Amino acid sequence: MAEELVVHFEKLLTRVDGLLSAVVTDRDGVVLLRANAPNTSPPFTESALGCTFALASDQASKLGLRKNKSIVSIYGVYQLVQFNHASLITTFVANSNANTGLLLELGAELESVTQVIATALHERQSGAL
Amino acid sequence: MLKPKLISQVLQQATTGGVKATILLNPEGSLLAFAAQSDRDARVYGAIASNIWTIYSKHNKPEVGPLSFLMLECEEGKVAISIVSTMILCLVAQDNVELGILKAKSEALTRHLEEPLSRVAGY
Repeated sequence: MAEELVVHFEKLLTRVDGLLSAVVTDRDGVVLLRANAPNTSPPFTESALGCTFALASDQASKLGLRKNKSIVSIYGVYQLVQFNHASLITTFVANSNANTGLLLELGAELESVTQVIATALHERQSGAL
Repeated sequence: MLKPKLISQVLQQATTGGVKATILLNPEGSLLAFAAQSDRDARVYGAIASNIWTIYSKHNKPEVGPLSFLMLECEEGKVAISIVSTMILCLVAQDNVELGILKAKSEALTRHLEEPLSRVAGY
């Protein structure tokens, strides 16, 4: 099933021009799933991206706007679109001129997929206990 | 020098159509000027916005480029954070405001305030 998920994520990379990488991590930055576009290596440490988002998302949830759902960060060359999906974090790394709206829609589509992974992890942990 | 009352009036122009607060602060989180329903709200938004900006600024590298814009989407609101000269501009909006209009307002304010704030940035 893991291979099918990676293939699914790799197909997603072709749907948006400029999308370079899709990563699913837990809140500690441990990478669960990774797909990179061919011949690209964005200069971000994937585990650091997950930790950055976890920290920022916790802060954002204190704004009085209830829970944070997503954060878009735009740099000179790249942009990061990150989603809070249950206990998992989905990160898209794309060129800064990629369509941010499409990336946000893609994240919303993927929520059901990451929910399956989160549920499987939770069941595995409950079984282990 | 800057006229703080005029800056507040400029920020006030963005607080329409669901935008609850427009705040200008320094990178340490101290308020310079704001247009919001209460000063307590402005202080809370400003402190958290500067904190989140600092967290994401850690990824600034020559090959990545400088952080220029942040958009946060929460269950009951949206936030746009950008940089104006050496200051941070933060717009907080209700959930029914689209991210595109929030970004457009942020960019318009940035263009308007960039030159005057650059003149005092050295002090």
